[in-house]
Amino acid sequence: MRIKKEKISTEYKMKYSIWYHVLPFLSIGLLIAVWYLGSSSNPMIFPTPNTVLRRMIELSQNKLSGYTLIGHMGVSLLRVAVSLGLAIIIGVPLGVLIGWSRGVRATIGAVFECIRPIPMLAWIPLMVMWFGIGEKSKIIMIFMAALMPIVVNSYTGIKMISPLYLDVGKMFNASTEWQLLRSIVLPAALPTIFAGIRNATSMALMVVLAAEMIAARAGLGFLINRGMEVFDVSLVMSGMVAIGVTGALVAVLTNFIERKLCPWNRSI
Amino acid sequence: MKVKRKFFEKNDLKYTLMTVLTFVVFLMLWQVLAMNNLIVGEYTPSPSEVLEAFIFKIYNVGPDGNLLITNILTSLQISMSGFVLAVIIGVPLGLLMGWYRLLDRFVRPIFEIIRPIPAVSWIPLMIVWIGVGTEAKAVIIFLTAFIPCVLNSYTGIRQTSQALINVAKVYGASNFYTFLHVGVPSTVPMIFAGMRIALASSWSCLVAAEMLAASAGLGYMINMGRNFGRADVVVLGMIIIGFIGYIFTTVFTVIEKIVVRGGTI
Repeated sequence: MRIKKEKISTEYKMKYSIWYHVLPFLSIGLLIAVWYLGSSSNPMIFPTPNTVLRRMIELSQNKLSGYTLIGHMGVSLLRVAVSLGLAIIIGVPLGVLIGWSRGVRATIGAVFECIRPIPMLAWIPLMVMWFGIGEKSKIIMIFMAALMPIVVNSYTGIKMISPLYLDVGKMFNASTEWQLLRSIVLPAALPTIFAGIRNATSMALMVVLAAEMIAARAGLGFLINRGMEVFDVSLVMSGMVAIGVTGALVAVLTNFIERKLCPWNRSI
Repeated sequence: MKVKRKFFEKNDLKYTLMTVLTFVVFLMLWQVLAMNNLIVGEYTPSPSEVLEAFIFKIYNVGPDGNLLITNILTSLQISMSGFVLAVIIGVPLGLLMGWYRLLDRFVRPIFEIIRPIPAVSWIPLMIVWIGVGTEAKAVIIFLTAFIPCVLNSYTGIRQTSQALINVAKVYGASNFYTFLHVGVPSTVPMIFAGMRIALASSWSCLVAAEMLAASAGLGYMINMGRNFGRADVVVLGMIIIGFIGYIFTTVFTVIEKIVVRGGTI
């Protein structure tokens, strides 16, 4: 590889680097061009980027159903944050307990394994029947969706720890199980636990949308659903763009926290 | 060592008993609570009611107008077509993106724009663009399953050992030949892991996809069960989806073990 690089003529290198920097812009340009072309035939069902952008600006200035676009984003994010917080507070200790103690694994863990294959989206109709369509039912839905990956990952993370670490701990006279758990097991499992939290975040974003699309008065899912009801495709697309931006921001945030909390994990 | 193993076996029996006991207690508790409408009111079917609904649905078209087997087959067909499409397009795309830097630079921005948009939010757009037929559902499932396929093949081929690539180069292999005969085979485990994730997510997206107008399918059955207030049918649908998903994962893991053991270096 290194030899080949030296052989590459400077001219080729420059050309290569030009393409290297130009292509990302080219692809975005192409995407927008295709969007324009596709939407020119029937702007009613496929609005142009312009229309969507204008619609988004309008939404962020005028209130729709009591909130601006940012407000709707905030409503959805608040729902996600509350449920995710609850899921972390309950899920991580539960998962750690299932992974650490065989008794808990044989009882609670077994029930969990049984429920796990049922996809979260399939729970939503039952949750609606049980808890209605209010705020409580949304929080419960998102909480359950976030809980599963957190518990499963915490438990897997604990189970995958090399026995070598535990032996070292015992050699250095870790007297109690708590000591082993706190200073060896938890730090070693933290990257896996965090991967679970990351999965849970994207799960929660998906479920908050689904829950809001069933019935809500605010939130990004509400925007999308309202757009579908009144056949306003630009509203639907505005909602989608907003959820995309939200998702990307949340992903950046979780990556940042992860780097701060477990800096030894180079794989992020 | 022998003593220790025996000790473990004794413990294993104890824990198995504990598991069995847990399930018995769990089912009994569920039955009692459901019969007395204790937890969440009247919409709690007991296990025996779910079993009854299962037997009923085998021979009767029930509240949603289809036999259980029709629903299962319809759902399988939709999720499989989405999944197969995702594998056919996603895996080669991920591999090529991982190998050719310029292609990566070209495709990645588009990919990163589409990635954070959850599949659920595509549903209204798909209704407007493609309609409410099988294609729309397959496309929604494709969008979910596509992402893990691309990401895993991409990450996998980027991890190809440089030593192997260098050997191929020393023997005069072209870049494409190296890609095909060194890069791809060494990525097979990661591709399969991605396909496993894609399979699970394509199956789990089913209920959402069938929320749009459908006339058959497990997700449709669940939604109709909710509309008619038949919680037993809803829970039955959930259990069947979970069960089939579990079988999927198990079978796929076996295939994965066979292929990965035989196919890589």
